[in-house]
Amino acid sequence: MDGIRADSVIKKFGEVRALDGVDVEVNGGELFFLLGSSGCGKTTLLRCIAGLEQPTSGRILFGGEDVTGLPPHKREAAMVFQSYALWPHLSVERNVGFGLEERKVAREEIRRRVGEALDLVHLGGLGERGVDQLSGGQQQRVALARALVVRPRCLLLDEPLSNLDAKLRIEMRREIRRIVKEGGLTAVYVTHDQEEALSMADRMAVMESGRVAQMGTPETVYRQPVNGFVAGFIGETNLVPGKVAEVRGDYVKVGTAAGPLIGRITEWGWRPTEGEEVVLSVRPEVWRIESPAAGSRVTGRIIERTYLGQRIQYQVETRIGRQDVVEMNPHVVRDPGESEITLVAPHDEVVVLKP
Amino acid sequence: MRREAAILITLAVSAFFGVFFILPAVSVIGAAFKGPDGMTLDYVIEVFRNPVYVEGLWNALLLGLTSTLVTLLIAFPLALVSHRYDFLGRKVLGVLILIPLVLPPFVGAIGLAHVLGVAGSLNAVLIDLGLIDEPVDWLARGRFWGIVLMNALHLYPILYMNITASLANLDPAMEQAAENLGCTPLRRLWRITLPLAMPGIFAGSSIVFIWSFTELGVPLVFNYFRVAPVQIFDGIKDLGDDPSPYALVAVVLLISALIFIASKLAFGRNTSGAQPRPKGRDDLVKLRGLRSIGCAMLFLGVFLVASVPHSGVVLLSLSHDWYQTIVPQSLSLEHYIEALGDPVVVPSIENSLLYAGLATVLAVIAGLGIAYVVVRSDIRGRGLLDVLVMLPLAVPGLVLAFGYLALSQKGGIFHFLIGPNGSPALLLILAYAVRRLPYVVRAAVAGLQQANPALEEAARSLGAGSLSTLRKVSIPLIGANLAAGGILAFAFAMLEVSDSLILAQQQEHFPITKAIYTLLGTLGNGHELAAALGVWAMVFLGIAIGGATIIGGKRGGLFRM
Repeated sequence: MDGIRADSVIKKFGEVRALDGVDVEVNGGELFFLLGSSGCGKTTLLRCIAGLEQPTSGRILFGGEDVTGLPPHKREAAMVFQSYALWPHLSVERNVGFGLEERKVAREEIRRRVGEALDLVHLGGLGERGVDQLSGGQQQRVALARALVVRPRCLLLDEPLSNLDAKLRIEMRREIRRIVKEGGLTAVYVTHDQEEALSMADRMAVMESGRVAQMGTPETVYRQPVNGFVAGFIGETNLVPGKVAEVRGDYVKVGTAAGPLIGRITEWGWRPTEGEEVVLSVRPEVWRIESPAAGSRVTGRIIERTYLGQRIQYQVETRIGRQDVVEMNPHVVRDPGESEITLVAPHDEVVVLKP
Repeated sequence: MRREAAILITLAVSAFFGVFFILPAVSVIGAAFKGPDGMTLDYVIEVFRNPVYVEGLWNALLLGLTSTLVTLLIAFPLALVSHRYDFLGRKVLGVLILIPLVLPPFVGAIGLAHVLGVAGSLNAVLIDLGLIDEPVDWLARGRFWGIVLMNALHLYPILYMNITASLANLDPAMEQAAENLGCTPLRRLWRITLPLAMPGIFAGSSIVFIWSFTELGVPLVFNYFRVAPVQIFDGIKDLGDDPSPYALVAVVLLISALIFIASKLAFGRNTSGAQPRPKGRDDLVKLRGLRSIGCAMLFLGVFLVASVPHSGVVLLSLSHDWYQTIVPQSLSLEHYIEALGDPVVVPSIENSLLYAGLATVLAVIAGLGIAYVVVRSDIRGRGLLDVLVMLPLAVPGLVLAFGYLALSQKGGIFHFLIGPNGSPALLLILAYAVRRLPYVVRAAVAGLQQANPALEEAARSLGAGSLSTLRKVSIPLIGANLAAGGILAFAFAMLEVSDSLILAQQQEHFPITKAIYTLLGTLGNGHELAAALGVWAMVFLGIAIGGATIIGGKRGGLFRM
């Protein structure tokens, strides 16, 4: 399977730079996610890969071959659209078979492959239907089958699950991952849903205003975010500003309004100096309440509680501001009130970031 | 779409448009201002010094204004009722009410003249009821109002469609919000609905005004000669030496252009290009019982009144003897038989089908190309192209016909378009096509805007080339719109008056309208023969419109500027 590479891609719409020098490398056979909030350029990048937008400068490569100048129909990059884009004047079968007809595949083989593709997405027997007779989830599957049936060099998915309800969405996540992996496809998947990305991706790129902020596996991006934006976008986090007091190896002691806190540097090749302004990222589940564990300690008062079944969310007022704290599988439900509690954050799990 | 293809289409269409639309229009203005030694305003001033021309212009303006007002009086209540209420047969009546637009007014006028004549139905009814003793010559006193009536009964669907389209584009939540904030229905109409519908009202009104201001056929049938379009038509006879017809045409064009620009400036925002807004729930009030029937009767009544002229035509064509009675006393097919024997009739039907058919093909191809560039490409100047192709709605057909005529004289640059035996076929096809282009473009643009571009992109990403995508996805998707636009174009080309009357000079090349006009001038049973041919024309139109209704194109937006 070929990989995909975007090489310093810039895309301007008038004066607006939708993509501002993007480098992305997707390995062959990988399910790669482009993640970001709306307007960050993720869909534009996907459309550049599909050939539906022409980059202002830069190159798109499929397995080493420069395809920047190729029109979309010669790229073999099948796309699944957010709106599904099923043609209302064609039946399910004709929709799915369209790409094969364009490739002049023999009629018999089209029938066979369309049947296989529909079976793959669990829609066997619905080929005769009109697309408007299908439910949203079924339409989504048809769109997927239509893209898969042509055996594309890469599969491009543009927020394919955003129009489905929550339960179906989770089911389809597994389904899409299974299909992509079984077919050994190279797939690029655009979403703004960080949970979707964390649960499905082999690797991902987090984008911010036309640039790639961080690229890596879900675990790396979650545990070692390179800046406050990524930390805040992938999961929840508490950001605490402070000044560097001491640097020792990968660990930094940072002076904050609640006294010194210790964290770890995760960005490669960056070392803050003493007196420099930094930000500490502490995930809500990193704070432990009244724990004997080793780590930085901060005192505060619980001001709000949200009970969520398998976990409880607290808001704790401290001298470094309000902290979101999550307790998993709690045995004790704490009441908001006057009594002071201590929050503990293990040094390893606090991340030091550039401000 | 590929940039190069978009640019190519834009260039080709612009060239076509420049040569066959701008050039004739400009050449008319040029001739009006070109004296023996350079530019001069003398001829135009001369127009305003000539009391006959001034009267003609004044009458045309009055005709335009009153026709527009009467049209508005008919269309606005209808649009409002259909926007607000659900009543008996709402959908069917909504289509029925549009039919008069495609009934040729030129033909209808023949019927109306008979209904209103000294020995006509109106007098017969009034005498029967004992309201008058002596027949009144309504046409002697009220020719003007006859024309206004005919124009209004013909043109109200344009305004109706514009107003309903702009009302339909409103987010119902806007009206609901007003209601929610304590606005009474009447105040809501005044403060929310009406202001929001204004662009539609103005767009439609300016088309109606320009149409009736420059209407040639109806005044001709009513023998109302003191009006600018008829004076221009008469002026053609001494074209060449006398620049004053040119000057008169230029004045008519300038007035039309001013009205067009004024309506654009007053409500410049182009609502037809707006993205469909997220819609709240429609708040159609379901009417029951008498109210429901009342609304239905209103619609049906308007339709029946609007079809009186054409019913008159049908009766006239079938009448053996129609004098001082409401309907003819005996019917016969003699006029049809005699008409078919007339050397003008059969060729004229063939000619019209040929001219209108080819013009429609041309307009549909060009219109599809333009719509594609306007909606799907990102090249600069596509907005301008969109405005440009709508201009034929603002430029009276009379002006264009006049320009074509002048340019096709011996030595003119369109002279090569005159076929053997002086056949105006090419000229007429081009003139019909150019002037009907806006309908096709609007229809195709509306279709493409409604079709999600992702539908085409999906085809491209699955390996379909541009042409294949166009053929297999785009055209099937907007086929209904395209067909509706094309059929409307065909209908209007079939019953076109100014180009046909002015450009077709020899009998064997006459289209239907000119043949009808010629028959009208025949002594004896000329009117009956003309009516018989008119009925033929309406039958052809009926078939075309029936086809359009079955295909079921989108009606809104066709007449939006």
